[in-house]
Amino acid sequence: MTTEHMLRMGDGKRVYLTKEQILTDLRDGMADAVDLGDIPELSGDELDKLMDIITMPSRMVGVEAGMEVPVTHDIGTIRLDGDQGNSGVGIPSSRLVGCMVHERAFGADTMELGHIDYSFKPVKPVIAQEMQTMEVCQQNMVIPLLYGAMPNMGLYYTPDGPFENPGDLMKAFKIQEARESMEHAAKHLTRDMVWIMQRMMASGSDGVNFDTTGAAGDGDMYATLHAVENLRKQYPEMYIEVGMAGELVLGLHGEMTYDGTVLAGLWPHQQAPLAAKAGANLFGPVVNTNTSKSFAWNLGRAVTFIKAAVKASPIPCHVNMGMGVGGIPMLETPTIDAVSRASKAMVEIANVDGI
Amino acid sequence: MSKGEILQAISDAIVSCDVNATEAAVERAKKEGIEAAEIIEKGLASGVNEVGILFERGSLFLSHLILAVDAMERGIMILESDLPATGLGRKPGVIVNGSVEGDAHDIGKIIVSGMLRASGFTVHDLGRNVPLQDFIDKAKETHADLISLSALTTISLNRQYELINMLKEQDLRDKIKVMVGGAPATQEWADRIGADCYAKNAVEAVEKVKELLLLK
Repeated sequence: MTTEHMLRMGDGKRVYLTKEQILTDLRDGMADAVDLGDIPELSGDELDKLMDIITMPSRMVGVEAGMEVPVTHDIGTIRLDGDQGNSGVGIPSSRLVGCMVHERAFGADTMELGHIDYSFKPVKPVIAQEMQTMEVCQQNMVIPLLYGAMPNMGLYYTPDGPFENPGDLMKAFKIQEARESMEHAAKHLTRDMVWIMQRMMASGSDGVNFDTTGAAGDGDMYATLHAVENLRKQYPEMYIEVGMAGELVLGLHGEMTYDGTVLAGLWPHQQAPLAAKAGANLFGPVVNTNTSKSFAWNLGRAVTFIKAAVKASPIPCHVNMGMGVGGIPMLETPTIDAVSRASKAMVEIANVDGI
Repeated sequence: MSKGEILQAISDAIVSCDVNATEAAVERAKKEGIEAAEIIEKGLASGVNEVGILFERGSLFLSHLILAVDAMERGIMILESDLPATGLGRKPGVIVNGSVEGDAHDIGKIIVSGMLRASGFTVHDLGRNVPLQDFIDKAKETHADLISLSALTTISLNRQYELINMLKEQDLRDKIKVMVGGAPATQEWADRIGADCYAKNAVEAVEKVKELLLLK
């Protein structure tokens, strides 16, 4: 009887596959990344190692001794106190307690302070509260504490913001008007992010984490790169982290450029050099999980993409590993068998600098 | 130019997202006596299919897709008087599309609407965060053949199941097909909740809807 190994599908369901089936999925996932990103394949040895990691009998696995990497945290303390149907576990605690728990109990190597809305725009009216909280946290912590939020350019469009919604304009075939709306929103977003971070830096922040960059398309990334550039000029020592929202920059505008490069359609290995060029000193690449494919397919694909991004990046890459990214299944609380295997593969095969 | 070259020019104009060039190419094909149905199938639709593939590969973007859809619709308008009452020229189905209540994601759903329109379907796009009863009310008002539901989060996914139950409660389930999609949705999920089909992206959505509405 052929031995079968327990894996997950991209939606978290258990499946049992033979080594031959796993290898086929690994190769197919890798081929998809190679085809889309025009990037190199993994070597035979690397595929063998992926196979070993996936089929290890332990429920969870870890990296080899000496290969440990730093772990940065996004989403602020919302992971602990959030209880609004998000990823939080609803433990009543202050943000200071949340930050310190991450530092002293969870072993986080960097942490960030984030507002419950976790987008830059809603921080504007509560900036004094954020500044004071940052100062108190900095007085109690040792590890680098950044301020973190999503650029979230969607909040600048109706009904949440002043600019007409490009989605509505596009439905009416008003392409030029939609593009102009995105350009206006991007300018305001850049201005707001810089303004907020000037104040957070004045309160002792070690830097900023732009989390889920590009979530609202190429305009979102355009605004973020310009904010990075602006902040780097003002604060040469500031720690700037740019984490992506998805593997491909969605081209809602389609023609926005940074440093002569069209932002729409960029894959992780093309995004990283641009983030570095703008002045970031850490990049967080993302590869999306396909819920209809197996863990082997998703991991083969994700490792291929991330390995190429790490190679192309002049700055350290801390890969996004969590719900629905990095080969990990799409579950609110991803299973440890998949999380630990995907993390080990990213460190030992894709050579990421951190997670 | 041969017939093949004329049709290819229409397809190329669509892929170039050039509305004026598409209109000119369709006018030329019409003048050359090519059947309207053939112009649509081998010229306009062929171009839109190519645009869909390029979009999925990240080579063309949303604005291009919308422009291509516009070009397709303008081309069909030129041909409208020549189209037979049935067959390819007939609007092949009415679809109500939207992102379910509790889900603010819009982009994928807009793309699906665009691709379905480009394929000749009449689409009523209700937008995002749409109350479930609004889908049903719109479907009744427009005599829709299919409701298409997008959900981008695991939390909002269950709304797809709730809508199917609401259709059953209101004795409409046999009259209206349901298509589901969105990142957390899968074929297994669609089977489990009793949806008529699942589509993983806009290109597949068009294929599945055609199977459901045109080959029934």
